[in-house]
Amino acid sequence: MDENLQIERLREGDKNALYSLYDRYSGALFGVVLRMCRDRGMAEDLLQEIFLTIWEKIDQFDPSKGKFYTWAYRIARNKTLNALRKSDPLIQTEDMRVYKDIREEETTQDFEALNGVVMKLEDHHQKVIELVYFKGYTHREAHKIMGVPLGTFKSYVRQALIQLREKYPTAFTLLLLCLDVIEHG
Amino acid sequence: MDRKTILEQGLLLAYLLDELDGNQREQVEQVLAEDPVLREEFTRLEADFENLAMENAIAPPASVRKRLETKLETTEQPSQEGIRSLKGTKTYDRTRLLVAASMAALFALSTFWLYTRWQEAEENIRLAREEQQQLKETLEILSGEMREVQQLNAMLNDGDMIPVLLKGNRLSPEARAVAYVNHKTRSVMVNPKALPPLSENETYQMWADVDGEMISMGLVPTDQELVALAYIDRAESLNITIEPKGGSDHPTVERLISNAYL
Repeated sequence: MDENLQIERLREGDKNALYSLYDRYSGALFGVVLRMCRDRGMAEDLLQEIFLTIWEKIDQFDPSKGKFYTWAYRIARNKTLNALRKSDPLIQTEDMRVYKDIREEETTQDFEALNGVVMKLEDHHQKVIELVYFKGYTHREAHKIMGVPLGTFKSYVRQALIQLREKYPTAFTLLLLCLDVIEHG
Repeated sequence: MDRKTILEQGLLLAYLLDELDGNQREQVEQVLAEDPVLREEFTRLEADFENLAMENAIAPPASVRKRLETKLETTEQPSQEGIRSLKGTKTYDRTRLLVAASMAALFALSTFWLYTRWQEAEENIRLAREEQQQLKETLEILSGEMREVQQLNAMLNDGDMIPVLLKGNRLSPEARAVAYVNHKTRSVMVNPKALPPLSENETYQMWADVDGEMISMGLVPTDQELVALAYIDRAESLNITIEPKGGSDHPTVERLISNAYL
């Protein structure tokens, strides 16, 4: 069924519309949440909360500002980061070394490996996408984890986005346009 | 802020990730709303990240969806929950709460009452305006009709006015028309309302007979109350014929439907 129609029905209080959106997006969101919090039980609780929030706040979703998935991802990201801050007082400190110790240096778990197009990127670009999108780090946090200056990190991000754009099929013409804009304004 | 700044500073990604502060977010949203190129760029970025997330999806256990369904079924009636939570909170001062609730209720009621009265007043004003407009229109119609009646009355009461009844002949036995001839003011009016309607391609035409010659007085449309015609000197009779649309220079005598001597 058309996504816009489902969202319209969701606004009208149709639970089946929520379940349809759940079936479509729960995997994608669970992938993000689980990689971010690295705890299956916590990720499952969070996923349920995320869809309850979608149910309660669907009136705040404005389709003219972006896609439904983007909106849902933001909810997922913010909820997970908040839950991580609450669950571990060490994360509230500004000391990135502690932050890094807790969230980066644990043993890698099986669900963390990335799949698909992102694996075709160079290693440091993969890392950028992983940190920023799947781990929820801000640029200021992520560049310290990667051990590169902030400016370099930002360049990596931009290159990674351009490469992603190249790998996904629809995007080539707009990439050129984008580069043109960046170069000439 | 413009497109160039947003792209160069990577703010589009930061916006997608919800990392901007309120002020920056508003600025980016404003540019996005106004700049279709940037908007398109953002849509592509969203699509790329959605693809990325889909490719890296991890299926959650079915129990999560079941829990979600159960949760939604049990929170069906949020109003009851609201009442429960109020009851459960013992820190509230019951009397103060009651006073506040009463005042709120009173305020709500009075607001509602005022709003209703206001709406009624608005509606009354609207109705009064409509009524006034209708009265004005009626008055204009009546004034127009009265002027016509006055004119007709003045004409009919004129001592010099001679009414002439024109009856239909066997070609049109139903036809009736009244001509008002005033030799003093040299005017002729005809009331054609009782002439049978004609086809679109035909018209009534009136003629004055002067020394055996028929002189056109003009066309007689049947959709008017009174038709002014040309006054012809020394007319001996008035004649009505049916002519092709637009009238004729010479009468079609075969279709003469009425005549009357003066």
